[in-house]
Amino acid sequence: MTRVLEATGIVRRFGGLTAVNNVDIHVDAGEMVGLIGPNGSGKTTLFDCLSRVQTIDEGTIVLNQTDISRMKPHQVAHIGLSRTFQVLRVYRDLTVVENMELSVQWGDISLLSSFRRPDKETTKRANHLIDFLLLSRLRNERASSLSGGQRRLLELGMALMSEPNIVLLDEAMSGVNPSLVEQIKERITILNQEQGVSFLLVEHDIRFVKDLCERVVVLNYGEKLAEGAPDAIMENDAVIEAYFGDDGGGGEHDADF
Amino acid sequence: MKSTTKRVLQGVGLGLGCLLLVGLLVLPLFERGNDSTLFTLTLLLASIGTAISWNLTGGFTGYVDFGHAVWFGIGAYTTGVLMSNESDWIPQQWPLVPALIVSAIFTALVANLVGRLTMRLSGPYFSIAMLGFFVFFREVVRVMGGLTNRGVGLTIEPVINRPLWYYVTLIFVLVLVYLSWWLRRTRFGASLIAIREDEIGAEMRGIDTTRNKVMIFTLSGAITGLLGAMWAYQNTFLDPDIAFVEVRTIDAVMGTMLGGLGTVAGPIIGMAFLFVLRELLWTQESLLQTHLIVQGLLLGAVVIYLPKGLMGLVRGEVKLLDRFRKRTSTFEGMEAAVLDDEVLDEAAGELETEVSR
Amino acid sequence: MDTLVQALINGIAVGGFLTLMVLGFSIIWGVMGVINFAHGEFIMVGAYMAWFARSEWGIEPLYSALPIFMIMFVVGFILQKLVVNKVIDRPHLVSLLVMFAASIIMSNSVKLIAGADFRRVNSDIQKGFWELGDLATIPRKHTVVLAVALVVLIALQTFLQRTRLGKSIRAAAQNRQAAQIVGIDIKWVYAFTFALCIGITAMSGALTSTIIPVFPFMGPPWALRAFVITALSGLGSVKGTLGAAMFLGILESLVATYAPGNSGSQLAVITAFGLLVLTLVVRPQGLFGGLRPVESGAH
Repeated sequence: MTRVLEATGIVRRFGGLTAVNNVDIHVDAGEMVGLIGPNGSGKTTLFDCLSRVQTIDEGTIVLNQTDISRMKPHQVAHIGLSRTFQVLRVYRDLTVVENMELSVQWGDISLLSSFRRPDKETTKRANHLIDFLLLSRLRNERASSLSGGQRRLLELGMALMSEPNIVLLDEAMSGVNPSLVEQIKERITILNQEQGVSFLLVEHDIRFVKDLCERVVVLNYGEKLAEGAPDAIMENDAVIEAYFGDDGGGGEHDADF
Repeated sequence: MKSTTKRVLQGVGLGLGCLLLVGLLVLPLFERGNDSTLFTLTLLLASIGTAISWNLTGGFTGYVDFGHAVWFGIGAYTTGVLMSNESDWIPQQWPLVPALIVSAIFTALVANLVGRLTMRLSGPYFSIAMLGFFVFFREVVRVMGGLTNRGVGLTIEPVINRPLWYYVTLIFVLVLVYLSWWLRRTRFGASLIAIREDEIGAEMRGIDTTRNKVMIFTLSGAITGLLGAMWAYQNTFLDPDIAFVEVRTIDAVMGTMLGGLGTVAGPIIGMAFLFVLRELLWTQESLLQTHLIVQGLLLGAVVIYLPKGLMGLVRGEVKLLDRFRKRTSTFEGMEAAVLDDEVLDEAAGELETEVSR
Repeated sequence: MDTLVQALINGIAVGGFLTLMVLGFSIIWGVMGVINFAHGEFIMVGAYMAWFARSEWGIEPLYSALPIFMIMFVVGFILQKLVVNKVIDRPHLVSLLVMFAASIIMSNSVKLIAGADFRRVNSDIQKGFWELGDLATIPRKHTVVLAVALVVLIALQTFLQRTRLGKSIRAAAQNRQAAQIVGIDIKWVYAFTFALCIGITAMSGALTSTIIPVFPFMGPPWALRAFVITALSGLGSVKGTLGAAMFLGILESLVATYAPGNSGSQLAVITAFGLLVLTLVVRPQGLFGGLRPVESGAH
């Protein structure tokens, strides 16, 4: 089983605060892994470190057998990792198709080739993905006129343009209406099962990951608290306490858990 | 706006453009004795060129350079230093073409260095830093006595064939228009738009944002430097205060914003419009003093009410929304509010205790 | 040695009026996120008002300073409500351009009204020098400004730390949404802050009109110094502004004193920007996180 992403001993500090404290996390080929934790647990920071949006103070990250610990974000995109963002980063003024076309990874970064026109292959792929994500009728609409859930799908599409073998999804389902959540989940599952794309999903709410992920990692205060199958995690006392504080445990848990 | 109306407008626009072009091409034949008209028109062409080049960084890439006139001045002074005999560092006067080439290259080098530094800053910080460089270079030129003859200025021998120079400038600007249009259609151009719309997203999707934006900045500087060099030759005299003039930046910004930031035709239309407006104002005695005030008001109005400029009108986008990402749009604000409750709670909690104390 | 002491004293004096001139800029930026591109022009307007009061009615700048503050406070309030509020939620570019347009309008209007000549405002009570033994002299004009600067600083600091309105301003600066949740009326806070800062800025122009040359286009070098100082200090940090202003003042003074030739004022400008360049190279986020670099991590 090949390991697509392996991060060991990740430490990230901000001045006096240690946001991520010696965390190990890995994703194997074709896996769907969840990363959850209460607010402030450092999961977003860890995500940023993995996608190289933030530097790491200690640790190594290996992506597709390449050490990316010191690489810049745009280099990582060429090695096979894509991510979406919590606060959506789509090109608002451009149409859905244009957004997709702008997201293609331009293969070898040779300068000369970037002076060519965007090619038909790109447009074909963009349209193909648009259809796959069931956004066909919105093809020529401005990104700014899409609903929240539709933008999430668009962002997912943009992340897929570079044909990554692992996608980091940053709270892809928060604030999205339930039917679209189902649609997103379904699309992700198809990608995972039919094309072997691995996913690492950061979610605030374990409900979103428990159906999709075979393994869940829980962070709290920057450290790994637990790791395992979703059911086991939900029963784990330490995890329950992290989310609810000293709640007395047992019985029905409601709301966010 | 209905598509037929749009088509008609675009057709009319194109027609007018062609007429104008023909007019510009044949003008020298009618103005044989009249050097000053050609002089003025050449200046107008130079300012259109500057606007086009500014638009590459400001419009396409979203890095609004408020010190753009500095490249003009550097190019002008390089040519001045090389071609006049008043600079102690240059023993012999250079001929025109090599001087122009060296000016462009030198300005490009400086722009490259400065870009690497200032493009680390985002938005308005970049803009002001560039204004800072503008003032900085002007004073450096003023101080470097031996090289630039200080504030006294440099003189170049006035050997110029006005109609020829007019055509040279016209052709150069036409080349720039084409360059701007072509660039927009390449992947590189698309990457610049991506950088403008969302730099971090662009970087995550494989674009080497640093390399690309510094490149366009260098190109833009080089072009404007060359325009400045050409101006120096035409003007035959330069000193720090006429080579480094804020108004050139203001014109480029205003013209482009008026015409339509980030479009290909925008800088041209905008500058032409400004030029006509200015000519009209100049003729009215009473408004002579106030033309800059009027321009200021116009800029403010355009920015607030017509952010997409005239091209926006033509394209039927007359709404009050901007094309740029809003800083705290309701959408993003709401999302952030929903997802970052922890931060909000903490801050609110902290605040509650502080404010009620 | 004497020269050094004199240079240092001069530097502190310069730092004094730089502090006063920069405060308004730094606070608007820190609280509202707006870079007041017309900052230099507000200084200019204040200076011209002082000149006018002096030449028409013989009022000393020291006495006209407070009325000027109050008038410009009101003007700033109106300006904020009419114009700035419209652009505060828009991208940075918009507010930048609007303030830029404002600066063009202001400087050219003043040129129209009062002419483009250089003006000097003279003062009877601020004449002469203080002597510090044999070591150095400091013009009275400078000490007046220094004194006022310190008073304003202390008043401002107290206001921000102790009063309810002051705390609301600080809260709004830190987290706009949270402040609104707690019930702070952002629009009023912004209006007040802007008005306060414009008032202080104009007053600084009035007071320093006896020291610096006054002409319609005097604004840009001061605005740029304000930018450099704010970049060096923390955003909206009152203490930081004092420190950075003093630093720049002393640096410029040393350069002007020890630099060869006659190019004192140009070199001063060059120094200020050299400092900016250095900061950009070493720490794009400014010395205390004042500047915002492009959000690309992993460098």
